[in-house]
Amino acid sequence: MGPGVSDPAFWSRFQFAFTVTYHYLFPQLTMGLAWFLVYWKWRALRSGDRRFDQAVRFWAKIFGLNLAVGVVTGIPMEFQFGTNWAGFSRYAGGVVGQTLAMEGMFAFFLESAFVGALIWGEKRLGPRYHFVATLAVAVGSWLSGYFILVTNAFMQHPVGYRIEADGSLGIESLGAYLLNPWAWVQFAHNQMAALVTGSFVIAAVGAFYALQGLHPMQARLCLRAGTCVGLIASVLVAFPTGDQQAKMVGRHQPVTLAAMEGRFVGGPMAGVAMIGQPNVAARRLDNPIELPGALSFLAYGTFESYVHGLEEYPEDVWPDNIELLYYAFHLMITLGTLFIVLMAYGTFQSWRGRLESSAPLLWVLMLAFPFPYIANTLGWMTAELGRQPWLVFGLFRTREGYSQVVSNGDTIFTLIGFVGLYFVLGLLFLFLVGREIARGPGEVAAAPRRAEQPA
Amino acid sequence: MIAVWYCVVGFMLTAYVVLDGRNFGAGMLHRAVARTPEERRQVIGAIGPLWSWHEVWLVGFGGTLLAVFPRLMATAFAGYYLALFLILWGLILRGIAIEVGGHIDNRLWQEFWDVVFVFASFLLAILFGAAAGNLARGVPLDAAGNFSMAFFTNFGVRGNVGLLDWYTVSVAIFAAVVLAAHGATYLTMKTEGGVHERSEAWARRLWVASGPLFVAISVETRIVRPDLPGPAVHNPLWALGLLVVVISAAMLVSGLVTRRELRAFVGSNGVLFGLLGTGGVTLFPVMLHSTLVPGNSLTAYAVASTPRALFLASIWWPVAFVLANAYFVFISRRYAGKVSVQRDNQGFY
Repeated sequence: MGPGVSDPAFWSRFQFAFTVTYHYLFPQLTMGLAWFLVYWKWRALRSGDRRFDQAVRFWAKIFGLNLAVGVVTGIPMEFQFGTNWAGFSRYAGGVVGQTLAMEGMFAFFLESAFVGALIWGEKRLGPRYHFVATLAVAVGSWLSGYFILVTNAFMQHPVGYRIEADGSLGIESLGAYLLNPWAWVQFAHNQMAALVTGSFVIAAVGAFYALQGLHPMQARLCLRAGTCVGLIASVLVAFPTGDQQAKMVGRHQPVTLAAMEGRFVGGPMAGVAMIGQPNVAARRLDNPIELPGALSFLAYGTFESYVHGLEEYPEDVWPDNIELLYYAFHLMITLGTLFIVLMAYGTFQSWRGRLESSAPLLWVLMLAFPFPYIANTLGWMTAELGRQPWLVFGLFRTREGYSQVVSNGDTIFTLIGFVGLYFVLGLLFLFLVGREIARGPGEVAAAPRRAEQPA
Repeated sequence: MIAVWYCVVGFMLTAYVVLDGRNFGAGMLHRAVARTPEERRQVIGAIGPLWSWHEVWLVGFGGTLLAVFPRLMATAFAGYYLALFLILWGLILRGIAIEVGGHIDNRLWQEFWDVVFVFASFLLAILFGAAAGNLARGVPLDAAGNFSMAFFTNFGVRGNVGLLDWYTVSVAIFAAVVLAAHGATYLTMKTEGGVHERSEAWARRLWVASGPLFVAISVETRIVRPDLPGPAVHNPLWALGLLVVVISAAMLVSGLVTRRELRAFVGSNGVLFGLLGTGGVTLFPVMLHSTLVPGNSLTAYAVASTPRALFLASIWWPVAFVLANAYFVFISRRYAGKVSVQRDNQGFY
């Protein structure tokens, strides 16, 4: 069952996984930062306090770079549905095409019309319309997230469709499809996770300045906003959204839940493994240290609840990479818990007014920013590996979905192209963002075009 | 309903080419019309804050195609595999060059991204031109409705064709010239000083060159596809398309001669829109023509989604379309008039 390197489905999956994982490093920050910008812009508009304007100008530059890479790496994703997943497009395009089209038509037009004005158009627009532009970009970015999550939710838990005479799927109810309960839960969970990324990045930059004694006003602003929003978002990621997400998996994909926990034998009082390595060949979890009953309680509400084991299902519906799925899920949970602890402590110190003077905490905050990216990626790995071997859960297998006419040579060629291009893009992005952070928000006021700031 | 959606999808692709075509054109001529760093900023400023809005027409086209013609998207995108990825990479390079080229005030940095910008713009204009040629000539569709096309085979236009042959290459050259002319016309309208003068000269030169090229392409098309235009000539839309081309061409010429920049640019848009629209009407209802057996060709009726999908899309699509244009009008009004480097530091920090 393991994917071999001569298998075209393997290379198309690898390519999609690579391009989408890389792409999603950027939108999560876009969606996370967008509401900070809206908030600061609003504060600036209401109070005329120049600190907020300065914060918006500084973060808008990082936002712009981030959004640009997000946009250019996002466009290939839509086209890959056709190029590498023609089987899937034929089968389910009549349904998922609705939201992919809506994403472009409703969300991207909104976002792209206003983003240039947000970053460079403060003078052309004036403060009021500049606020409108900021809001429009934030709404557009979250809207696009929703349409994509509806698409993914259909693949996880198909609703609102009917099977046509030729065996393909057609849309039956647009309302049911757009309001898929899976989509709402996943959207809430995912957007909170994006806010966590945004908060950690903002807090990290604040800590970087505070540790050097640079830009004290902006450092303070970033640290306070970053830790406070970071705490709220980290808690919301776990509860209720993460909790609901796991319950949803337990209800609709019990085999996935079993694989996520490395549970081969079903039964009541199912535990959550704190430590343990899944051994699929021997069908057990090696060296387990479990919290007894926790999984039964979390997934189904009581400690006595029965949790299914993998052995209750035929092997051909088991997720095909149980080990990676297990680790992705467990590392995500571990990181999420640490985020709550860190941000709770940070908020507590900020409330006591000791955040800027607490060097060890600032060091941790400064170095912590990569971990929400890792946790977000692990979350998506859990969702997508957990869905296997299905492309549309229970209806259509991943193996049936790839483009038959595309050779491995073509897929590997384009994969190499993406790896090379994205590597350079990543270096460029880090270099330019690093440069903006090094220049800092202080210099913004000195730059010639921003000389005539609104008071 | 299916014919309406054929028009909508065709319209979106046409709108994309007309809108982003000006950016390709400005990109191809970037180094030719702008000599100093200040002048290059004018060109980037003219492309303005809306280039990504233009690009969204391509994204919207892709999504809408999947929603209403899923089997066409599956066949065409998998078949045009390598060409599409080159387009995607070209778009990545082009977007990045616009966005980061002005980030560092350093001559080497800016020259590097200028060259990337010019290269990516040429690549995109040529690839989209070749794609248009492929749509007219057809692709080697088999009986199962699949094809997989190499970059080139024997450069012939019949049977097992490749992406590039003598016909599609000449359409690509034509496209590059016309889009460059379109971009020059736009830059003439949006800029002042040296860029303005050089753009104006290029616009005249390129539009003059595109006349004979157009005649040549028409003759070639007649040779490659003797069955065209066929019954399409009886379609009133076909005549309307040609009328748009003629009127727009007249506006373009008079605009260029009398230096009415807006008139020339409207004419330039109209010429492109009319040509592509007429082409779309001519091909209808075939969306992919087979060079192997005409019976293998895929028509809009064969690849359309279910009537319910089309019905649902026709409820929300017009709403989204109106909104999209409202945003565009709002932003365009704020950026009306000539580019001012002091006011518009698009892409510059």
